[in-house]
Amino acid sequence: MFNKNSANKVHSLIVEHMQAVEECLIKFEGFMDAATTPETVPATLRTLSAGVGAAEDVADKALRRMIDSLGGGTFLASTKEDIIAISTMCDKVANKCETIAKVIVCQKIKLPDEYAKDLTNIIATTRKQFDVLEESIGQFFEKFGALLQDHKILDEIRALESEVDAVEVKLYDDIFALDMDLAHQMQLSNVVELIADISDVIENIADKIQIMLISRKV
Amino acid sequence: MWIYLLLGAGLFMGWSLGTNDAANAFGTAVATRVVKYRTAIIIIATMVVLGAILQGADDISKLSSIATNNEVAADVADMEKLGYVFEKDADGNYVMRNHKGEIVTKDGEYVIINKDAVEGIDKAGLKDLKIKSAVKAAIIFIAAAATVFVMSYLKFPVSANQAVTGAIIGWGLFYADYSNPEVMSTNLKEIGKFMSTWFINPVGAALIAFVIVYFFKKFFESKVLSLKGYDKVVKIGYIVAGAYSAYTIGINSSASVTAFYYDSFGVGANVLTSASLTAIIGGVAIAVGVLTYSKKVMMTVGGSIANITQIDGFLVILASALSITLMKELMGIPVSTSQAVVGAVVGAGLVSGVKNVNFGVFKRIAIAWVSSPTVAGLITYLVALATQSYFG
Repeated sequence: MFNKNSANKVHSLIVEHMQAVEECLIKFEGFMDAATTPETVPATLRTLSAGVGAAEDVADKALRRMIDSLGGGTFLASTKEDIIAISTMCDKVANKCETIAKVIVCQKIKLPDEYAKDLTNIIATTRKQFDVLEESIGQFFEKFGALLQDHKILDEIRALESEVDAVEVKLYDDIFALDMDLAHQMQLSNVVELIADISDVIENIADKIQIMLISRKV
Repeated sequence: MWIYLLLGAGLFMGWSLGTNDAANAFGTAVATRVVKYRTAIIIIATMVVLGAILQGADDISKLSSIATNNEVAADVADMEKLGYVFEKDADGNYVMRNHKGEIVTKDGEYVIINKDAVEGIDKAGLKDLKIKSAVKAAIIFIAAAATVFVMSYLKFPVSANQAVTGAIIGWGLFYADYSNPEVMSTNLKEIGKFMSTWFINPVGAALIAFVIVYFFKKFFESKVLSLKGYDKVVKIGYIVAGAYSAYTIGINSSASVTAFYYDSFGVGANVLTSASLTAIIGGVAIAVGVLTYSKKVMMTVGGSIANITQIDGFLVILASALSITLMKELMGIPVSTSQAVVGAVVGAGLVSGVKNVNFGVFKRIAIAWVSSPTVAGLITYLVALATQSYFG
């Protein structure tokens, strides 16, 4: 009824998927570094964007393998659904990275270098958020009882999202204070919104984990 | 042979009981999707039949004797027609002597005597008695089963046992000798005992569930190491508790379904003469009800009374099964498993606070508890009135 190896396989495939998403996030970070550097030529950006897309594709395949591995009776039906929901939400992080890179490349958006620091700050905080998320998902599988009693780690994720929010608002203020046409302002604010959205997705995953914990608490 | 067709009423009762009581064993498991509906009904059906085979017969004679004092009195009159002599002893209890002068029963508890040992029985009278017994049982079961079926259709987890008892009381009250204080005293005692289970049974189950859930939360929850371990505890817990609960349904309810077709006199005055076979037929009828039409009530019990978690679910089933066992010992009559489960669900919900219990649904169910035996009793009372010329 409960296959230990099967449970371990599911867990390792979840870890594999998370690592693939993280790899995508790292490639996206590299892309954004280049995008906020004035000297970067469009061809380089296009190549880096393709790299983000390829990483997203790897994450997609890892997600499908993980979902396929849930076919057996290792976990309860509701747990399987929750695992799929969490992994699918994690996958959205990679999807968003790919979308943002495509938007920047295809719309040929020039990101003013004075915003580089704030954008880098958002992405670095989001990376940190993702690291904490990976740790909390690990605890969810391996230290379930302890996480059930104390899930402060999820609050850390939320705190980091608040940091991203603060930088996001500052960037909006700066963008709309600039002497440029409204269309350009809207385009830039849209990119900022998309980037900050990644942090929101990670926060939503933390919320989902907390809901899963509450639904399993006696 | 047509007399055996009357057994169909008891089987319909069993079927109705199965459609309702299945919710007790696996309602929360199915509602929280820990156990698939198909798996649940197979386990329930198997364990109900097993309970009926191993222990169901214990209640057959006992249940026959709670057909109230009036029923005993009616049977006494019938047996006298067959040549038996009844005497009152010094304590006021009935003593029945057969044609040889041997005492065959005392204190309303009939001793089964060998059919072949009985001589000189009026065969025509016996046949008439057999038909009347079967028709009477059929009326009682049809009234109770129809009540339970309507309640199941309306998604109320009512008690089939209680509907049967209500129907018996309704019939008995019609034939009661209201001028006899002794008879009335026994009636009031039995009815009072019956009605008290509406309160004692669910409250007892709620208390047991509260204690079990509280201690589980306090001492076990943090010890679960992994998500896989949690799922394992939940699944095994549901299957073990559900199987135990289904087994108690088999013991507790199989007798309710067919006991009144059982010939407690042992003289061929009713359809069935083997207590074991009577219980098994009851168990199989319940199992068929479980397998064919139990989903609606299962979802009501498990899903809408309280926002209970997966672990709470199997603890609720365990608590209600323990409560049933305890109540049966204390009250001496089969109590309602449906009421125990609903009480346990509320008790488990209360561990997390009063806000966690949907009292709106609870009120509707409580009304159904009272109304189902009352309606069943009213039906049999009216049928007794209409058929007075036949039964005499």
